[in-house]
Amino acid sequence: MFPGVYGFTWEPGNLIFLGIFYSVVAIILGTMGIVLVRSLKDFQSQKADQIRWKLDFEDLPEGNRTCRHELTGEFRHRTCERGFDCRECPDHAKLVASKIRTIHPGYETGDEEGCILGFDMPLERQYHRGHTWVMTEPDGTTTVGLDDFGSRLIGEPDEVRLPAAGTSLHLNGTAWHFKKNGSDLRILSPVDGEVIQTGGKKAGWYLKLKPLGKKMDTRHLLRGAEIRPWLAREMERLEFSLAADGVGMSLADGGALVEDLSKEYPSLDWDAVWGQMFLEP
Amino acid sequence: MDKQLIIRGLRRSPLSKFLLWILPWVALLGLGLYAGYLCLARGLNQTNMDNRFAFGLWIYLDLTIIALGAGAFFTGFLLYILKKDQLKAVINSAVVLGLICYSGAIVVLMVDVGQPLRAWFTFWHPNVHSMLTEVTFCITCYLTVLLVEYAPLVLRNRKLRQIPSLLVFEFHLHKVMYVLAGVGTFLSFFHQGSLGGLYGVLRGRPFAFREGIGIWPSTFFLFILSAIAAGPSFILLTTWLVSKLSKKELVKREVLSLLGRISGILLMVYVLFKTIDTLIWINHTAPASGFNPFDFYSWEPFGTWLLFAEIVVCGLLPAIILLDKKRREQTGWLVSAAFLVCVGVMLNRFVFTIQTLALPTLPFDRFLSYVPSWQETATFLAVVAYGVLIYSLSFRYLPLFPQEKELRQS
Repeated sequence: MFPGVYGFTWEPGNLIFLGIFYSVVAIILGTMGIVLVRSLKDFQSQKADQIRWKLDFEDLPEGNRTCRHELTGEFRHRTCERGFDCRECPDHAKLVASKIRTIHPGYETGDEEGCILGFDMPLERQYHRGHTWVMTEPDGTTTVGLDDFGSRLIGEPDEVRLPAAGTSLHLNGTAWHFKKNGSDLRILSPVDGEVIQTGGKKAGWYLKLKPLGKKMDTRHLLRGAEIRPWLAREMERLEFSLAADGVGMSLADGGALVEDLSKEYPSLDWDAVWGQMFLEP
Repeated sequence: MDKQLIIRGLRRSPLSKFLLWILPWVALLGLGLYAGYLCLARGLNQTNMDNRFAFGLWIYLDLTIIALGAGAFFTGFLLYILKKDQLKAVINSAVVLGLICYSGAIVVLMVDVGQPLRAWFTFWHPNVHSMLTEVTFCITCYLTVLLVEYAPLVLRNRKLRQIPSLLVFEFHLHKVMYVLAGVGTFLSFFHQGSLGGLYGVLRGRPFAFREGIGIWPSTFFLFILSAIAAGPSFILLTTWLVSKLSKKELVKREVLSLLGRISGILLMVYVLFKTIDTLIWINHTAPASGFNPFDFYSWEPFGTWLLFAEIVVCGLLPAIILLDKKRREQTGWLVSAAFLVCVGVMLNRFVFTIQTLALPTLPFDRFLSYVPSWQETATFLAVVAYGVLIYSLSFRYLPLFPQEKELRQS
């Protein structure tokens, strides 16, 4: 095995065989060493939340990763490859800058003000794909809350864990947790920001954030004419999730979602449905 | 607690039903551990092997499960090196199967070799001219690789994933998987070959002795070929079996077809070379050693039917079925062919291990018979039970089939 050990000889066979063996061992140990160093580095720089979202996003079925520009009819078929972070997407920037940007006309009509497909979705707010809303306040802070669709899906949670003031949130990281019927889910943060205030149950579970940089970047959030087609797709996704548990296509076209859907179908695997809808597969 | 460990969106049987399923396997494992203890504590007199019949049920088991476990490294090679992305659907299951096969083989070898306190001798004083040394080194290294490959799968368990440090570690481990797949392929090629080479160099056993290229007898290459042909079929077969037992669709149909096609192509190549090898052995190698090759088949029950069953029934026939697209699209044909491929490789290892040792080689030799003792059988069954337990636990708590969730929703 080693020079000096009984049985070792300086023969070519010995050297070739042991050389190959030590090379293999070195590759395995070296690879593990690299993994450990990289892990330690990322863990220390608090990238765990980003990595979690990256892995979760990869686990989402393709149908749940639809690009916002497909929802609006600008693309026939397009899957997001950037974790719903349009801020660095060159195509998004081009489409926004383009004067010929067209949104399917059928999506812009027929809603009462602030009420889209039966949901209370004020147009002055911007929306994240994980069902949170964002509103920029005049003082430069930002308020974040769960949108009406998300609220109706969860109903009355058993427990909500909001982050403490001073906590830094990162886009698609964890904003807060809720527990219901034994399920523990996280709500994704729609923006980067530092928590300066939180609101409890009576105030409707919200967070007030100040930007981490100079200004809050919200280019990736859905707004205006994008909200209706997105909600229509979310209804489809919900029907799809419920159908997997045998409910079938039970949401009649034109009807509004009840206040607490989980109460209506207590026997369903709500853990799976919430996971799908809140993007935590 | 149990529900919190199951991957979100997957349906698994109630805990009570699961415990009922694993109970007999735990009992079998317990019996096998006791038998293993007897062999280690009292010696190999607990077995029915002797100095003439030194390779028995255990070595047969080792050779067979290592051949079937080749599906792990070969699937990894196809996915990470050749970029056959469709195989992502079965890679996790393949890794678990590989781990079970290799760790099971090592445990049985440890009982067979005995003297566990001196196990390190093989590494410290290696005989570099022995095929077995290469096998020992390769299997040890490859088991380490398989454990490292299994780790990210375990860390993907729902509860473990909540721990940030483990999540980050799993993420980076997954990123280097192609390196480990490459190392695994290298190691597997060599030890599969060395296991075959071990028989091919037995000049004193003319039934197994083969000529070859350089220091490698033809069995070196045939063992590699047969293992990589059978590996995908074994994965196909287990996936189908688990799907039937759990009553769940686990992978898309085209993945099974792809596994079948890969297995079919490799099997056809193997059958071709095996036929050439057998013809050379019949017409040249055996006569050159002073034997009429057909005399080896005059000892019942090891007649020529065994050769026919191995090459034609479990080789050529499944290869033709798997290469026929129309037949491959029908699950009955596909699964039957995969089953035949696995039986074929088991038969091949049986012939090389048991038939080789049973046949007389010297004029005063007699035909030997061997029936394993209950201790040998119990240890053998314990490995099967261990495999079922590890796979059952992995299937319940880990994401073995990434397409399962999507298929359930559709």
